[in-house]
Amino acid sequence: MTFNSVSYFLFLPAVYLVHLLVPDRWRWLVLLLASYGFYASLKAPYLPAVLLAVTALSYACGLRIASQTDEADRRRWFWSGTIACVAILALLKYLPFLEAQATGFLGLGSALSFTIVSVGVSYFTFQAISYLADIYLEIEEPERHFGRFALYLAFFPKLLQGPIERAGDLLPQLREPFRFDSAAMRAGLLLFARGLFKKVMVADRLAPYADQVYNNAHDYTGLAVMIGTYAYALQIYFDFSGYTDMARGTGRLFGINLTENFNRPYGATSIADFWRRWHISFSRWILDYIFKPLQMAWRNRGQAGTAAALVVTFLVSGIWHGATWGFVIWGLLHGIYLAASTYYRPYQKKAHKWLGIEKSRLLRWWQVFVTFNLVSFAWVFFRAKSLDTACTLVAHLVRGSSADTLRRLLLLSGRDELVVLLLSAGVLTLYERGGLGERLPAYPAYARYVFYWFIVLGILLYGKLFSNSLFLYQAF
Amino acid sequence: MSMATMNTLTQIFRLVFDDDSLQITPDTTANDVDGWDSLSHVNLITTVEAKFTIRFTQKELLRQRNVGDLIADIERKISA
Repeated sequence: MTFNSVSYFLFLPAVYLVHLLVPDRWRWLVLLLASYGFYASLKAPYLPAVLLAVTALSYACGLRIASQTDEADRRRWFWSGTIACVAILALLKYLPFLEAQATGFLGLGSALSFTIVSVGVSYFTFQAISYLADIYLEIEEPERHFGRFALYLAFFPKLLQGPIERAGDLLPQLREPFRFDSAAMRAGLLLFARGLFKKVMVADRLAPYADQVYNNAHDYTGLAVMIGTYAYALQIYFDFSGYTDMARGTGRLFGINLTENFNRPYGATSIADFWRRWHISFSRWILDYIFKPLQMAWRNRGQAGTAAALVVTFLVSGIWHGATWGFVIWGLLHGIYLAASTYYRPYQKKAHKWLGIEKSRLLRWWQVFVTFNLVSFAWVFFRAKSLDTACTLVAHLVRGSSADTLRRLLLLSGRDELVVLLLSAGVLTLYERGGLGERLPAYPAYARYVFYWFIVLGILLYGKLFSNSLFLYQAF
Repeated sequence: MSMATMNTLTQIFRLVFDDDSLQITPDTTANDVDGWDSLSHVNLITTVEAKFTIRFTQKELLRQRNVGDLIADIERKISA
């Protein structure tokens, strides 16, 4: 079940009520059973078994690492646990795919089953690895309560698509007794509604534009390709940040604060800035556990060492998203953007200073524009079904496109749909960028309720509700 | 913590971050120093290693959270 499905709208209140009624010492059990039930509803019976296996394995390794006094033994247990997690992830994520390719059955059918079979696995294995690393580095103590540790990996709001929670952020919260707090409840519901609004009002309305261009790459050139790509850039943001809002909103209901995953990423002024704002729990993970160790290992190679560490890190990030050339090139592009910037950045800064424009608003806008376009260019390889399609679209970029094609593309879903889309995106921008979200609690009740009703009615009347449209990042 | 280590380290920080008035304390973190990003951090570490003729392990480097942690690792290494 996904957050925008009918079953979730029955499941969530039911779990909440039971959770509210049971005494504190059993709340972890309610949430744990609910989480496994939630996972089992995906109708892939081995998935909960895999989750349980990763849980038992990382729980045992965590205790083992902490109980050893000899550094070599600690390291051995850390690596055993980590390699086992990576092996499980690789087995589930890449084996069906490689098999399909080897036997020549590669088609939409196999690609689909491949995404469904491993949903959630990459998120909880990454979380298990970070848990082991933090114990090995002596940043965290292992969790001794098996049930609570299992909940740390399985907690249903973040199970399918993250945020990837660090032990130090989530485990202490799971140990706290639950206290009903009406302000947290309201904030949670509002966050959930905002996420649903992002998904059913904006993301699902942007999808047809991207799909149209990417499914008919040969028919579109120039500006049309850019519209399709920008539509995808915005779709994936509203889809994924909408999901995260719904996950965090659900968490708040149970008194749990999950990590924020997005901070207005398309307002970034450089690629490095973008990665501090996009999929934050994931970028923090790859920076802490892949980039930093590599950078330090290669520290005597100076700048080239850092540049190489960046390329390798983002290459791994690409492969994590899937075993296709598109993802590899997407990761490589970001790695290269970042590696290149380590070389030119000092000169760029000096040049801006020399020209006296380092504080200019125009420069900021220019940087946001360039960054958005670099990111969008990389999305082409991420979105396209095949490398062929991506190359066709890139080659078509430099060609012109007729006004008629553009008009037909823009009015693809009709004029009304376009108006609803633009209006919804405008309200969200006002909410996030204009600071309406922070100011709202201070507004008089009637103003707040006008806003709430706008969101709720918008979703009910115009939302693409219960369409069983999947969230994009579940595929990873 | 010896004053000599602190003084040498302050000199290294001023050199790496190109700021002659930079003051550090054991509580100083990357957030407190302008320009202390992952790139300059490598310069800082390699300079510290060269000045004190020591070599940090991966684990030490990944554990360091502030200047205090860095000083503790330096002093443990020079006294060993």
